[in-house]
Amino acid sequence: MISHADASEIFISDSERTDWHDETLWFVRAKRDKVSKVLPEWEDLREHASQIKDHTLANLGEYLRAFEAKAQANGIHVHWAADAAEHNAIVHGIIASQSSKVLVKSKSMLTEECHLNDYLASKGIEVVDTDLGERIVQFRNEVPSHIVLPAIHLKKEDVGETFHQHLGTPKGNKDPQFLTEAARQHLRGHFLASEVAITGVNFAVAETGEFVVCTNEGNADMGAHLAKVHIACMGIEKIIPKREDLAVFLRLLARSATGQLITTYSSHFHLPREGQEVHIVFLDNGRTRQLADSKYKNSLKCIRCAACFNTCPVYRRSGGHSYHQPVAGPIGSILAPNVDKKANVDLPFASTLCGSCSNVCPVKINIHEQLWFWRQDLMSAGLAPAVKTVGMKMMAFVLANPVIYRLGGAFLRRFSGLLNNRLNPWYKQREMPVAPKDSFQEWYKKR
Amino acid sequence: MVQKTMSSRDQILGKIEPLEPVQYPGAFTKASEGFDFMASLAVVGARVVSPSELEELFPGRRRFDKTMDGLSLADVEVLEIDGEFGVAENGAIWLTEEAMPHRVAPFICQHLVINVTEIVPTMHAAYARLGGVKSGFGLFLAGPSKTADIEQSLVVGAHGARSLTIVIRS
Repeated sequence: MISHADASEIFISDSERTDWHDETLWFVRAKRDKVSKVLPEWEDLREHASQIKDHTLANLGEYLRAFEAKAQANGIHVHWAADAAEHNAIVHGIIASQSSKVLVKSKSMLTEECHLNDYLASKGIEVVDTDLGERIVQFRNEVPSHIVLPAIHLKKEDVGETFHQHLGTPKGNKDPQFLTEAARQHLRGHFLASEVAITGVNFAVAETGEFVVCTNEGNADMGAHLAKVHIACMGIEKIIPKREDLAVFLRLLARSATGQLITTYSSHFHLPREGQEVHIVFLDNGRTRQLADSKYKNSLKCIRCAACFNTCPVYRRSGGHSYHQPVAGPIGSILAPNVDKKANVDLPFASTLCGSCSNVCPVKINIHEQLWFWRQDLMSAGLAPAVKTVGMKMMAFVLANPVIYRLGGAFLRRFSGLLNNRLNPWYKQREMPVAPKDSFQEWYKKR
Repeated sequence: MVQKTMSSRDQILGKIEPLEPVQYPGAFTKASEGFDFMASLAVVGARVVSPSELEELFPGRRRFDKTMDGLSLADVEVLEIDGEFGVAENGAIWLTEEAMPHRVAPFICQHLVINVTEIVPTMHAAYARLGGVKSGFGLFLAGPSKTADIEQSLVVGAHGARSLTIVIRS
């Protein structure tokens, strides 16, 4: 597998596109600042949301049981999946009894985490992603590069060409309005024909057994309300205790995500429609392990707004695909090592530890601290690349020996070319400043 | 299958140890007020018209009886429904399935008209007003369907209604 640093190098080789990506996401971050500052209570809201999530995680088993009991009383089927394989098997089991071999799915990063589309394809079932951005990347055989803006790595020319190939739009037409209309017509046909709809879940309320799904396009609702069977897939951390908590989270979510006041649709599913079957699938897939680790349990507070993506100087200049995980960005970099340390050893290092992620997080996850914790854990587990391990050991040795430090400093000030060369990745895109003749200590002694 | 699912349930719940207690923070009490519903509607892309302007704009609009078949609404051009109340801070309107011909109605029609008679300041006030769950399905709807998935260019009319018209009635 290609590491984050190597993948980023490919991404930034197109500097014009990198600048566009960087500036566009920063614009989204700026919109978030603008709408959040309108609310004098913004910081209190973040603190409140953080406390609700901390409280929920401290009593997660109790709230899951409460939600299950309420949802079942409401006529909703509740399933539990220990891992991705079981999740996919459960979903397939529900679909298998239906005659239709095509289903519609609205955005669910959890189904990306489980690679549900590929699994169902292997069973002869086609999944049509209905979020516009997700449909675009699905046509291109790619995965979303951002959890809220799945096609942010593409330009309208790319989308125009993709739609020309798959939907027969005129070659060269790259007008977003025109292309969106083409997708609307194409997907409407699928909505009207589909017997099964899969959606994600933004919030599940233990008190009432209802769940809330937020979209701007209306695709989750178009699918769920027309289908005979609605399957909602959620991580066990999506539970909140009370209905009134939704006020806090709905105020924070869209403002943090896109700088909107609220998403266009915040749908509250309580009872199945008459004649409809509704299923909820709870997924663990490592979440209980994360919960049991006091250093990392906070990461489960995440509401998937992607504010940390938009603010991250590394994400903005390396693109989501460089993270080789369904959830990229700073939050993805602290979630992924829990699932597979070895495969994701590069991700906690894909950060400057500037802390901007933690500053914008609406539920106050200490993301940058957890990145640093993971670095320590991965290094001490011996998983870091050899170059990094040797480099760190040498640095530790030198810094622990004042004599060697001073001699080394004096030597390298005269022969700085030894550091500034092709073998040192630090100087790939950097210029070395001219070294002063004296060290600080020498200069200080002379005065 | 059933057996396996049962065991996964117990397995998952068994792995969740109660953590150090953290107190539930209670209701949020620091909400500011003084939000302008009209300004929020403009931000989310809804237009506000008077009852007489509505007559001129959509003379052929329809109010529908309950239908069991959502698909029959696919050809509806303009649908008029009643909202329960609006939220000043974000221009969202609470709708319940009781006020719609079908759950899919506000999404599947081409243009949507909503009558609003009552406004609350914030989402906190909105949930306080709602109290417990009274409907099988309800939603906050703010503006017409939209997307910015192509180069962050805002396009109105992704999958749901292409326009939202609000009539404030006393």
